Amino acid sequence: MSPNVPSWTGVVASVALVVLAAGIARRGRLGVERDLLIAAVRAFVQLVAVGAVLSFLFLHAGLLGALAWMAAMVAVGGYEASRRAKGLPGALRSATLGIGIGAVTTLGILVVFRVISTEPRVLVPVGGMVISGCMNIAAIVLRGLRTSAVEQRPQIEARLALGLHAREALAPLVRSTVRMATIPAIDTTKVVGIISLPGAMTGLILAGVDPLTAIRYQIVVMYMLLAAGAVTALVTSRLAEAALFDDAQRLRRMPFA
Amino acid sequence: MATLFSLEHVSLAVNERLILDDVTDHLHEGRCMAIVGPSGSGKSTLLRMLNRFEEPTSGRILLRGEPLPGLDVTELRRRVGLVAQRPTLLAETVRDELRVGVPELADETARQLLARVALPADYLERRTEGLSGGEGQRVCLARALAVGPEVLLLDEPTSALDGASADAVDQIVRDLVADGLTVVLVSHALDRAAAVSDDVLVLRSGRLTARGRADEINFPTAVLGRGEGAVAGEADP
Repeated sequence: MSPNVPSWTGVVASVALVVLAAGIARRGRLGVERDLLIAAVRAFVQLVAVGAVLSFLFLHAGLLGALAWMAAMVAVGGYEASRRAKGLPGALRSATLGIGIGAVTTLGILVVFRVISTEPRVLVPVGGMVISGCMNIAAIVLRGLRTSAVEQRPQIEARLALGLHAREALAPLVRSTVRMATIPAIDTTKVVGIISLPGAMTGLILAGVDPLTAIRYQIVVMYMLLAAGAVTALVTSRLAEAALFDDAQRLRRMPFA
Repeated sequence: MATLFSLEHVSLAVNERLILDDVTDHLHEGRCMAIVGPSGSGKSTLLRMLNRFEEPTSGRILLRGEPLPGLDVTELRRRVGLVAQRPTLLAETVRDELRVGVPELADETARQLLARVALPADYLERRTEGLSGGEGQRVCLARALAVGPEVLLLDEPTSALDGASADAVDQIVRDLVADGLTVVLVSHALDRAAAVSDDVLVLRSGRLTARGRADEINFPTAVLGRGEGAVAGEADP
């Protein structure tokens, strides 16, 4: 075991920090002690479980196991993103395909150009980062389109009434929604290393890798997240906008959020 | 007088509630037809069926003898323009507003369109956010005319306007019809509808109860189903 990684005794000792937080909450009568303890226990159980699964995956499951794990992550990500846009027709399909295509495209390019290996211990964590980023973007796109489709119905119908195709009628709203969804990733990329030390790089440094080596991984991850986010935003919005209209190019009715 | 729209036993049921009930009628070219009736009578729904914003659950609508579902829907909407109740402006300037449906619209044509809606030519440079409600509605009319429709559908075009602005829009509608354009408008104000239109179609609870020239119709009977009152002044929600 690397000396940089806490022992199980160290992990148990860190429970004191949870007690400290709970004590502050109790003293301040914040009413969050119960939630705080539940969160701490859940995090422990979830991380132990995922650690055990990943250990098994890395040792025994091979490439197919890694791909199956990533497919499951895409499915969960699609479900979570679609929950942000309840009532939007085809939201689950739009989000799942958007996340899946975004992840497969970028990871595929990196694998084909041998930038990353196909070892499960590389694919799974890198895939997790990209799928998580894509999920956030798909959620923002779907929520934005749903809100726009309800609140800006008169504007959309005004364009349709002028003989514009459904896609043209929605184009200004899609543009602003996709821009809103991709700006956080662009901003994060701008300030990386200055305001925040991102996860991949931090993990490698903690594991004893030289920082100049660790940043190479981080640069690849950041660029991958930019591309994956753009692909996800494009695919999700295209699929969602098609589902917003019926065959006669009428905007479907949705309840207010 | 050629028939533009034919409505054949048109009905619409939503959640087992009849919004329109077996409406049959013909709308003629070059005339102004007003659809009137109290709130909830189905008049706006009927209007929106003419450009397929709504679809009948039974019956059919034909444009020059062709069933609407058989026509390309974007082409149909270019032939059948629609102006909504409230001015819905989409661009920053009046010039760009008039180009929403026709991106290549020349300035000279745009000025002619402004003249048709009684707005000065220099309004082309104006920002839409500074327009009054009446001016905005006139720009919406010009924007619809820019596409070159055969018929213009107006959904309560004056109900959100003050008296003078509403009078101005009514006069524009009369001028457009005099120039040969077919207009179908929805109104809850009988006097206003009667003053602008050639023909009136009265709906009550989704049923066609009267049809003819405004001066031929007994509105209290047609609209309320009894010999008292009138619906003038009522507004749709």
